[in-house]
Amino acid sequence: MGIHSVGTSDAALVRRVQTGDTGAYAGLVARYRDRLGRYALHMLGNREDAEEVLQDAFVRAYRSLARCDDPERFGAWLYGILVNRCRTAGARAARRARRFVHDPTALETAPLAGPDGRTEWDDTVRWALARLPSESREAFLLKHVEELEYEDMARLTGAGISALKMRVKRAREQLQAMLKEAERV
Amino acid sequence: MFDPVDDVIERIARHLRRPVHIDPALDGRVMREITELPTPGGATALGKAWRWLRRPHQVTLTPLGGLAAAAGLALVVLLSRMDPTAPAASRAESRAFQFVLVAPRATHISLVGDFNDWDATRTPMHRTGSEALWTAVVPLEPGRYHYAFFVDGSRWLADPSAPLARDEDYGAPSSVLTVGGGGS
Repeated sequence: MGIHSVGTSDAALVRRVQTGDTGAYAGLVARYRDRLGRYALHMLGNREDAEEVLQDAFVRAYRSLARCDDPERFGAWLYGILVNRCRTAGARAARRARRFVHDPTALETAPLAGPDGRTEWDDTVRWALARLPSESREAFLLKHVEELEYEDMARLTGAGISALKMRVKRAREQLQAMLKEAERV
Repeated sequence: MFDPVDDVIERIARHLRRPVHIDPALDGRVMREITELPTPGGATALGKAWRWLRRPHQVTLTPLGGLAAAAGLALVVLLSRMDPTAPAASRAESRAFQFVLVAPRATHISLVGDFNDWDATRTPMHRTGSEALWTAVVPLEPGRYHYAFFVDGSRWLADPSAPLARDEDYGAPSSVLTVGGGGS
């Protein structure tokens, strides 16, 4: 008997869910909501999309919980699901954006929204992050924000370690260049 | 050596590492979705009982975001059956609603609302099933009700996944539950 405690391990909660205690899943959702939400928010650049993807990831994880081979690593497993959902949502958003532009020339020549008038560091960072290619943004966030090791990143993304290192390097260079550009405006 | 590139990147990373707060109502939305799904990994007696309890329901969940260091959820479950304890005169129209609160650290919870004159002594919730579950069943006739959870004698908790009452007559947030007159 007793109640959920903050110290209840992921594995214990996962096993309780697997044996029919659906309510125990609430503990896992509460535990990972903000951290995974941060990744989704930075990856998608939009809170509404991020929350939708996050909810979807939690529900998909629940559906597949029987396939979570190592309940101790539930967090990493859940992370993998979220990374995939963000990729899908990002691709969908890109297609949606393209559908609203019918003039390819105008699209190519249109200036990107720049940091003009944005004096806040937060705006500048988000502006620069959004301009990174999605693969580079994903690699940068996992490495420098979520502070994962390359081995873990490789497991989550399915990409090779060399490719991931290259993506992170490019992201760093691009961010550096964009920040310089922003400072000049 | 001082590397300006690393310095900028570290500044960006530090900025992005700041905690992000996602609306705790997301917990309720997730739990509402999964209660309709089969238990992953098979069933036990507890699982079967819990699924029986919630099968015919519409569910809304509440995270206990404001509860210190606690994670929790609330759900309002429509049992779709008559409340056997309801007065005979009202049986024809009232239906039983089960309010379920998952409150890991609470020691006492009352359901308060228009249906019990916001009297915290009239509808105490009871722990059932799971260790963290608190439940209370209330017969409700068709109408619109404001309600809230009164936790540990000091905290009022609205249900963020249910419509929030706009007219906060009681000075604390509350939620709205509308009971239809038909079969729903």
